[in-house]
Amino acid sequence: MNLTNKLIKLVFFIIIFTGCTEKIELELDESYARLVVEGEITNEKKAHQVKLSMTSSFLGEDRDPPVSGAIVTISSATSTYYLNESQSEPGLYYTTSDVQGIPGELYQLDIELPVEVNGQKHYSANCMMFPIAPLDSIGLRYDDRWDVWEVQCYALDPPTIDFYMFEILKNSIMLSDTLSDKMVVDDKLYNGQYTNGIGVGWLDPEKPDEQLQNGDTVTLRMSRITEEYAYFIWEVQRESGYHNPMFGGPPANVAGNISDGAIGFFAAYSVEYGSTVYEE
Amino acid sequence: MKSLIPAILLLLTFILMLSGPLSAEDPIGIDRYTISGTVTDATNGEELLGATIYIEELETGVATNLYGFYSVSLPEGKYTLMFSYVGFQTIQKTINLKTDLTINVELEMNKEMLTEVVIKGEMKGENLRKPEMSTFKIDSRSIKKIPAFMGEVDIIKAIQLLPGVQATSEGGSGFSVRGGSPDQNLIILDEATVYNASHLMGFFSVFNNDAIKDVTLYKGDIPASYGGRLSSLLDVRMKEGNMKKFSGSGGIGTISSRLTLEGPVVKDKISFIVSGRRTYADLFLKLSSNENLRDNALYFYDLNGKMNVKFNDNNRLFISAYSGKDIFSNDDFKMGWGTQTLSMRWNHLFSKKIFSNFTAVYSRFKYSLGVPEGQPNSFIWYAKLNDYNFKADFVYYLNPNNTITFGANTIFHQFYPGTAKGLGEEAFFSEFEVPRSNALESGIYISNEQKMGARVSLKYGLRFSLFNNIGTGVLYNFDDDYNAIDSTVFAKGEIFNTYFGVEPRMGISYSLNEVSSLKVSYARNRQYIHLASNSTAGTPLDIWFSSSPNVKPQVADQFALGYFRNFKENIIETSLEIFYKKIKNAIDFKDHAELLLNQELEGELRFGKAQSYGLELLVKLTEGRLTGWISYTLSHSERTIAEINNGKTYVSPYDKPHDISVVLNYNISKSFVFGMNWIYATGSPVTFPTGGAWYQGVRLPIYSDRNSYRLPDYHRLDFSLTYKGRQKKDRKWRGELNVSIYNVYNRKNTWVINFKPEENDPAKLYAEKTYLFGIIPAITYNFKF
Repeated sequence: MNLTNKLIKLVFFIIIFTGCTEKIELELDESYARLVVEGEITNEKKAHQVKLSMTSSFLGEDRDPPVSGAIVTISSATSTYYLNESQSEPGLYYTTSDVQGIPGELYQLDIELPVEVNGQKHYSANCMMFPIAPLDSIGLRYDDRWDVWEVQCYALDPPTIDFYMFEILKNSIMLSDTLSDKMVVDDKLYNGQYTNGIGVGWLDPEKPDEQLQNGDTVTLRMSRITEEYAYFIWEVQRESGYHNPMFGGPPANVAGNISDGAIGFFAAYSVEYGSTVYEE
Repeated sequence: MKSLIPAILLLLTFILMLSGPLSAEDPIGIDRYTISGTVTDATNGEELLGATIYIEELETGVATNLYGFYSVSLPEGKYTLMFSYVGFQTIQKTINLKTDLTINVELEMNKEMLTEVVIKGEMKGENLRKPEMSTFKIDSRSIKKIPAFMGEVDIIKAIQLLPGVQATSEGGSGFSVRGGSPDQNLIILDEATVYNASHLMGFFSVFNNDAIKDVTLYKGDIPASYGGRLSSLLDVRMKEGNMKKFSGSGGIGTISSRLTLEGPVVKDKISFIVSGRRTYADLFLKLSSNENLRDNALYFYDLNGKMNVKFNDNNRLFISAYSGKDIFSNDDFKMGWGTQTLSMRWNHLFSKKIFSNFTAVYSRFKYSLGVPEGQPNSFIWYAKLNDYNFKADFVYYLNPNNTITFGANTIFHQFYPGTAKGLGEEAFFSEFEVPRSNALESGIYISNEQKMGARVSLKYGLRFSLFNNIGTGVLYNFDDDYNAIDSTVFAKGEIFNTYFGVEPRMGISYSLNEVSSLKVSYARNRQYIHLASNSTAGTPLDIWFSSSPNVKPQVADQFALGYFRNFKENIIETSLEIFYKKIKNAIDFKDHAELLLNQELEGELRFGKAQSYGLELLVKLTEGRLTGWISYTLSHSERTIAEINNGKTYVSPYDKPHDISVVLNYNISKSFVFGMNWIYATGSPVTFPTGGAWYQGVRLPIYSDRNSYRLPDYHRLDFSLTYKGRQKKDRKWRGELNVSIYNVYNRKNTWVINFKPEENDPAKLYAEKTYLFGIIPAITYNFKF
């Protein structure tokens, strides 16, 4: 329903074209610290990553304190992977680069901290890796109404209720590099049907890294994620995005899947890629 | 239904017990005769609601009802009757009562500036004696004097200035009464429920003041003849149409123009009124340099029409209709929403003592949005709500001391919460529908207004409400975690759930002396249909849903106590009221609730309790060169819901502890009228982060308690100046020019606070406030002919 969102945004924009903004000083309380977990495993063969840090004061912090020295494992019914902490970036834990998740398996993350955080040393989470339907091909269409390149998706959606995450790469460089750039949709409106070129991502020629030149390869990364992860991303996008009193309810904490009140998500998902070469 | 019958019997016994001995007060053998009739405005034949008829010899009186009708039964004798209405000249009639009499009276408006002629014996100070409190009536002429936002005179904006009433957001037409949610207000236009009273995302209301006669707000002491909402009744009455002569009025404003035509079809028998308003905001978009903006259509319109036929003194028919719509469209998508209502009312006198009104109403709210056909992603999404309401109301003027009202009504609701589907052959969206549902909401009531001696007036009544969910319908069953486990489908016409309950309403007024009184009231209200909206500013994407086996009706009990005192020959009315309201089964929405296109909407609801209490102070200047009011409200409103805010009590989104409104008008001279508003309110409650985490490149806020912070306080000053041209006697055309300034001292009132990355260091955030309206001048030319 991205279109609806666009529409709502436009209506909203028109309504508040008289609205103005101003920087203000705000005193915010500091809450007790919590563990933040950012981890995933996919069916790609690569070094999968888990990042551990602590929450910090909301304003003015450009980096959260990393959590070092933890014992981190990802396991399924068939295998267990130990993650090693990066030497150069404390708080980042990697599997070896030959690990590949298997769709259909349930993955479990376990974290053993060297010291207690919030009265707890052990944290865990689990997530199902669902199989994904093949991505047949992708297309590019110039949308002159919005002056953007639309990335079109051609795939058959299975009859199950599915949630997808779409990311765009240009010449193998990830453009959707923050959580707010990722597009997450459900299949409510085309469940069980051929998607037939539905727009799943946009490139804005006004942004230097999104401009297309002859011979550029545009790649779509399509992932089938769990419902919980989809809601997590939506909620993060909403909570970190622009709040207005008209749409959306009161601010609320984002529910992740990590145990014992830790913030964040451990996601397992399977991925399909599709590419096209831009020709002028 | 079985328990209904004993309840009615009990009620009837109760009423008979009370009225029995009272009617036997008269010595046997003395016959009573009835004086009845209507009180109207002499210039246009419009009925005057709440006009008083004072009987000098008895030092008591009666008031006209909502249709301008009055009736009083007295023993044979000579009487002096005073017919009066605020702003009109009192008429005195001496009669020798020997038989039933019909006296229809036309009152002449007071020439402006000609005031302070206090007529002795006039039934002033009615506000002290009536066993009714927490109400406020205002007519369209007074509303017109209030400085208006962008020059658009707006009833709801006027209502928001009353004690105990809060605007839900800056410039918005949603309002909260005594801490309640906006969906707890029953808004009726000529008896038809208006489900969404806002235009243009809420910045204007659907009521075109030119078509409106007057408005009454009941803040909890709702008459027994109405039910279904917890917090208030806003009763908006349209003008009937000039019975005397053809006339017109209109205006050309900054954002809209209006035209109203009215007149007799047959003089003093049949009249009509049609009124239209259209905005031209989109014309400004055409001036924009942005191509995308230029192609947009963006406007709203309102059309009101009414016809009224006086067959004879005993029969009268009113047909009124309203249609309003907002349209926003361009080649890429379109969006529209609107309300339509049609009401037919028949006033009939069974006898001079029994007034009746039969009403049939159709009302609809609908919205749709989508991408027009012809594009691969063409789709339409629409939702609507239909109401069919039948109502019978009776007023029995038993004797001067007892007026009994009784009646029944039933509303058939049809909910279409949302359908979305692709359009055209290429469409790749399949149809998605949130199942429609039906409900029947009924009520019967009886109530008596009784005078006991010179000091005490009572009002006591009972409403019995009944609610049925009727098939076709789909009922989802939820587990303890609010996940849908299965669903049951019900066949057409099958009643699959019933709720009912008794709603007592009562009030007492005790006159301490000529100029002051004490009042107490208690009311219970039950609400069976609710609004799925968790935005604090109104949006048109409203979804109303009904109670069901998963959603119990919300029940409110409200107690109020008031002290009323008038000064300066009743020209200054003051009141002090305190209230306490407690709500059972209060509804709120879970964190990150999904309300749109959600088949399992009921799984997003959470239930608990809510309460509010407060103190309201009002000083009202009713006549003279300076009119208006000053109000102060001190209140608190909170909710406790187990699954929200970790079960801790939190203040409701509309809690504003301090609220001051100053609304004044001053007649500078015959030609110039000056008006001003000043509003002050504590900032709305908000939730701010108390910690943060960088998560995949975004700053994720972590919150502590809900609504534990406040926005900066809100205050604003508005001015208006109206210049009335010299009126030439031989010319019918009268024009006036109104200049208004909204937010005179350009206060940047916070609408919302967001956190944004610093420009030169995107990894750091700062707080940024958005304010909507700075100083806004507007000019309007109004005319009459």
